[in-house]
Amino acid sequence: MFVLPAAAIFIVFLWLPIAKGFVYSLYHVDFVHGNTFVGWDNYRTVLSDRDLLVAVRNTLYFVGLCLVIGFWVPIFFALAVSELRRFQGFVRASAYLPNVVPLVVLYGLWRWFYDPVGPINAALQALGLDSVAFMTDPDWSMISIVLMETWQQFGSAMLIYLAAVLSIPKDWYEAAEIDGAGIWARIRHITLPSIRNLVLLMLVMQLIATSQSYQSQLAMLDGGPMKATLTYALLIVKYATTKLEIGAASALGVLMFLVLALLAVIRNRLQDKGAGA
Amino acid sequence: MVERGILSRYDFRRPGVKLVYGLVIVIIALMVVSMLNPIFVTLFNGLKTNAAVNSFPPTFFPDGWHWRNYREGWQFFDMPLYLRNTLLIFGGNAMVIFVVLGAAAFSLSHLRVPYKRAVTTFFLMTLFIPPTTYIIPNFVNIKELGLMNSFWAFWLPAGANAFYLLLLKTFMDGIHHELFEAARMDGASDWRCFSRIALPLSVPIYSTLAIFIFSTAWNDWFWPSLIMHKSTMYPLSTAIYKYVIGARQLDLNIRFAILSIVMIPPIAVFLLFQRFIMRGLQLGSVKG
Repeated sequence: MFVLPAAAIFIVFLWLPIAKGFVYSLYHVDFVHGNTFVGWDNYRTVLSDRDLLVAVRNTLYFVGLCLVIGFWVPIFFALAVSELRRFQGFVRASAYLPNVVPLVVLYGLWRWFYDPVGPINAALQALGLDSVAFMTDPDWSMISIVLMETWQQFGSAMLIYLAAVLSIPKDWYEAAEIDGAGIWARIRHITLPSIRNLVLLMLVMQLIATSQSYQSQLAMLDGGPMKATLTYALLIVKYATTKLEIGAASALGVLMFLVLALLAVIRNRLQDKGAGA
Repeated sequence: MVERGILSRYDFRRPGVKLVYGLVIVIIALMVVSMLNPIFVTLFNGLKTNAAVNSFPPTFFPDGWHWRNYREGWQFFDMPLYLRNTLLIFGGNAMVIFVVLGAAAFSLSHLRVPYKRAVTTFFLMTLFIPPTTYIIPNFVNIKELGLMNSFWAFWLPAGANAFYLLLLKTFMDGIHHELFEAARMDGASDWRCFSRIALPLSVPIYSTLAIFIFSTAWNDWFWPSLIMHKSTMYPLSTAIYKYVIGARQLDLNIRFAILSIVMIPPIAVFLLFQRFIMRGLQLGSVKG
């Protein structure tokens, strides 16, 4: 049976940890002395943790910022690039290029970019503006991270939208134009409705992805300054690595699972509607 | 040449449209510049003297081509060792995924499997579970299995990837059933059908997957830092994170030289295999 090895691996390395997450959330996990059952104690611990509220708020803020700063950008550029008559391949490739920059390079590079005496502040100064403490100002730190991630990731989203925009039959535009539809009307009544399902799908996928974000926040700022970039997922990681409370970390994971499972179901509905077409 | 898009040739004759179109082209050009600029900044900073990198305001072009930075960067830590670890992880992951998931995808799309629907659901259900929610239990699980500080902690879990399975299965669904029936008529076993027909025909999807697996192995720094507690087992990304990103004693130009060394291979892979990557992207969007 060819499925068996795969099934075994899925059980041991996916289903087992997922199930263990629920189990551990009810235990005090101790690698040396063994686990003890503590009931709902872990949940009580994390729910009474002041950082939880901070983390939830930061996560919502991050998700919102990603929408405001990052979500419309690929759609706009997909429309614009689809109208390019030359150099389209070059523009596509360069928009996607940041995607292949390794994460650690991204962090190293942008730390320097955001430096108080780095290139961005130099440019601001040249324009006669005040310099910005991108990393150390709690008001700016999350925005800085979103800008960095948008730089890296928007290209792949743009290419997905672009493929959808280019697959719209050209005759539709031709017909609409003959009927007297202006350019804006063509975009509004042909292009946007055609990619509507895809936009919804990408929206839900982005919500799922951004609400789990922690790596950049950890690598760039370690959750600081003043917990301004402490996201929910980062809180999970911190519980496990610095506080060594595996049970509490698992409880946080379970709580998050309950919220995100809902989004995942919505995503599936959208995909079944054939959103990729 | 595209004969028309949203805009037609007639539209282009109107001055207002021309103006807006020109503006949009300027915006696209700005976008391209801001996409490429940081990459060139990394490459050029790695070739400057340290004083030039630290000058304020910074200059774009290097003050000379100081290739020696690369040698110093290479010798800053045990680069070959970390590189070897990364390649080991990539190779093992690819083997497990190709063989285990390939076989599973093949049997799900072309063999008779009892309770096929249930089995498929069992695999694909995992796509719905956000990985961050079980990252810690996953880590404890690896620990309890005694796989810490071992490459098996990467190789085996690599096979537990429903997304890759889905890509493989979708591709193999497209292989005509008659091929296998004919082979079976000639007395071929299931294994021969898989290894002699399905595998060779799936080379395109395997190449796409190989690129995905490569970039994951090359990129991942956090998970290895949880699993590997011996610094000699770190993959390149984790080593860079631990020793380069946080380093205080390291000159900026050498730092950028190291970052360039890490950045160049994936960019080269991208430029060489653009076609496969773009296709993979489409696959991912259609169902993933």
